[in-house]
Amino acid sequence: MKSDPNEIPPNEIPEDLAEKAAVMREFRRLRAAGEPVSAELYAKHIQATNDRYATGPGPGERIQDFVLPDQSGQPRSLRDLAGPNGLFLVFHRSADW
Amino acid sequence: MEMEGVNLAAVSYDSPETLLSFARKHGIGDPLLSDRDSAVIRRFGIFNTNIAPGLRAYGVPHPVEYLVAPDGAVVRKYFVPNYQHRVTGSAVALREFGAADRTAPAITLRSGALTVEVGLAAAKGFAGQQIGFFAKFTLEPGWHIYGAPLPEAYTPTSVAFDDPNVIAQSFDLPPAQPMEIGALGETIPVYSGSFSGTGSLLLKFPIDAGEVALHGQVHFQQCGDSVCEAPETIPFELRLTLQPFLVATPAK
Repeated sequence: MKSDPNEIPPNEIPEDLAEKAAVMREFRRLRAAGEPVSAELYAKHIQATNDRYATGPGPGERIQDFVLPDQSGQPRSLRDLAGPNGLFLVFHRSADW
Repeated sequence: MEMEGVNLAAVSYDSPETLLSFARKHGIGDPLLSDRDSAVIRRFGIFNTNIAPGLRAYGVPHPVEYLVAPDGAVVRKYFVPNYQHRVTGSAVALREFGAADRTAPAITLRSGALTVEVGLAAAKGFAGQQIGFFAKFTLEPGWHIYGAPLPEAYTPTSVAFDDPNVIAQSFDLPPAQPMEIGALGETIPVYSGSFSGTGSLLLKFPIDAGEVALHGQVHFQQCGDSVCEAPETIPFELRLTLQPFLVATPAK
């Protein structure tokens, strides 16, 4: 688990990222307006979002402990979150949209 | 899953305040973790690098779910390569612990010496979800059906959905027992007695909310000590209730 080699500084957005952003903005605009999204745009949006798809550590690999605040602001670590038989850890996009 | 001694936690880039209002709104007691600068998301190597800085989604991970042992080792990971598709807790509970929701739809099919119960892991779901399913087989004594791999002359046992709303699926049976067929001197894999398989199906996205009938087929060939029936296909239908999507409201 090293830091992401593909990370891009904000002032250097490459062309392909700008193209993806245009697709994502158009998709979001149509959805927000309640307008139909064409199958072509839908496919482009999925493709833009899922490019360089990565799923992180695999079975057998060890997860480094971390500490993050929970919804009450309490710091929680992997060790204290786990039950007697472990933890089901879900990464998701946002609870807000 | 808590019943199995496995806790649940979820990570997103939201603030603790956003997570608190989400947890209150939906009655969630499980820890929702705030990875504000996506540092942990980056450390896992799942930071979505397709999203330009400045977009609302900048900082999100590729959606992945890990079953982690108490010592921190990954036991299994679940993912579907489409951000609008989701693995369900019920599908994981079925696969990991053999647990199915009692209110979930199931149907019992019979033919000759074979009884098979096919059912879903959940009664309700959303379009785009991965839903677990199971098949429990029982054969009368003296009868068997076939496993895999098999010579061409025999029909292996399978359970599959044949439905436009199902875009991907898998189904696994336990290892079959080798059986020697006398006259031909062949050894072939067979099932007898009682055994179960589990699988999962991926629902299309989008599908209109409401009840949806999912169509599938059980395919097998049953043989006794002195007689082999012709290969059979039994169709079945399981009804799943698809829930409407929650509409997210912009933060004030």
